[in-house]
Amino acid sequence: MKAARSDAEMAAAPAPKPATAMIEIDHVSQVFQTSARQDHLALSDISLTIEDGAFVSILGPSGCGKSTLLYIVGGFVRPTTGAARMKGKTITGPGPDRGPVFQEFALFPWKSVLGNVMYGPRQQGVKQADAEAQSRALLEMVGLKGFENFYPKELSGGMKQRVALARTLAYHPEVLLMDEPFGALDAHTRTRLQNDLLDIWERDRKTVVFVTHSVEEAVFLSDKVVMMTRSPGRIRQVIDIDLPRPRRRSELLLDPRYQKYVVDIERMFDDSGESEPRP
Amino acid sequence: MIVGRAFLVRLTPLLACIGLLAVWQAAAITLHNDSFPTAVEAIRAIPSILGDKDALINILASLRRMAIGFAVAVAVSIPLGLLMGRSRAVASFFNPLLMVIYPVPKAALMPIIMLWLGVGDLSKTLVIFLGVSLPVIYHSFAGAKAVEEKMLWSGAAMGLSAAQRLIRIVLPAALPEILTGCRTGLVLALITMITSEMIARQSGAGNILFNALDMGEYDTVFAMIIIVGAMGIGLDALFERIRARLVRWSEPQLDIPLSFS
Repeated sequence: MKAARSDAEMAAAPAPKPATAMIEIDHVSQVFQTSARQDHLALSDISLTIEDGAFVSILGPSGCGKSTLLYIVGGFVRPTTGAARMKGKTITGPGPDRGPVFQEFALFPWKSVLGNVMYGPRQQGVKQADAEAQSRALLEMVGLKGFENFYPKELSGGMKQRVALARTLAYHPEVLLMDEPFGALDAHTRTRLQNDLLDIWERDRKTVVFVTHSVEEAVFLSDKVVMMTRSPGRIRQVIDIDLPRPRRRSELLLDPRYQKYVVDIERMFDDSGESEPRP
Repeated sequence: MIVGRAFLVRLTPLLACIGLLAVWQAAAITLHNDSFPTAVEAIRAIPSILGDKDALINILASLRRMAIGFAVAVAVSIPLGLLMGRSRAVASFFNPLLMVIYPVPKAALMPIIMLWLGVGDLSKTLVIFLGVSLPVIYHSFAGAKAVEEKMLWSGAAMGLSAAQRLIRIVLPAALPEILTGCRTGLVLALITMITSEMIARQSGAGNILFNALDMGEYDTVFAMIIIVGAMGIGLDALFERIRARLVRWSEPQLDIPLSFS
């Protein structure tokens, strides 16, 4: 008894989280019909495993189907062939275990900031008072204390995306699905939100699937970068980003390892004749 | 000075009304025609209409039909329009039907409806219903169609069913557009109310107006026109207040959004 317990403790203490598969994408292809009634192959035979607690970026030029792949994991789009699984169960539709954050924010404009964040918990049956307390705490965490009663139209883009993030975190999804969340923001705002996202992520290390076309953003945030090719979207390479955490932007930008990742990935896109992905 | 200008701006509609009445008065005096009473004569006839019990009952009966026709139309048209906006099948079923009905003046259907349903309240209310329905359906349809897909996805991820999304996301998101349709519908309700009473003379504000016309009581005719017009302005102003309150969240308030990353 005693020995077994100490064994378990020893094994658990220093080792990182055991790598269990959170999301498996299994031979997924996606065909769309164009307006000219022709078939367009958007995704071709994608297989990918995303581990529990990993921050994974899907990187590729626009039109490579990376967002479509995210929507398939979200259950918003049904793959033409193949399947996506979450914890071994085939994904057949959206659910609160997978929380999306969209580039377009997609806030409910008729709800106040607080009302937006409370929406998910209330839908899940959390009591009004509890949902409100949790939502206020979340808004404070994303730096929006004092803006609870504002309407979305009264906020800047960066603030809207903070609300959207808090709204999704509020219903405790196991996986965050981020669809170019900072793509519509100016460079300065984007940097601040990247830093804040990492800070928030460090607290509970939820699994994150992050779609972006910015190499710097992908390297800065991720444990793993999945590079995709232009249409039809295929996985070109999966690169482990072996950089220490917690990451500080000021340190990382000076780190030769970070710079090498960025340059190597950009070169790979250049070599293949892909248009250069830019932030 | 600024206060003076603001006061002037608020006063402008009143000045426009007085101006109109002045032109009317001058024109009526100049033309000196029996069928064209002066503004003063018309306004003088108003208290005698509003003081008359029969006339008041008639006007209230009109307003009751209008309220029922409008309410039923809105209650039916909003759900139908929203469903059309979110379901291609529903839209392609109803669209051709509505396109045929839309340009037909609803009062033109009155004789047929009277033939089927008689000359009573039912026929007139039905015509009002038809008049109000189409703009409300059309605007609800357009509003529902324009709802951002990602907003619905966000709701779906929170666990909202398709029916819940329709009521709790599509309806509020489309509300500004729906209320624009309702406002058009309200004015059309007033128009169809009067025209239905013109065709089926029995009771109502339109009945007073056209009876007076038959009997050559032109001051009453013009007084009724003023009363109906005032009802329209009053109802529209009331509706606009309610609308502004309901969609406060969508009206641009601040020119520049708060800057804060």
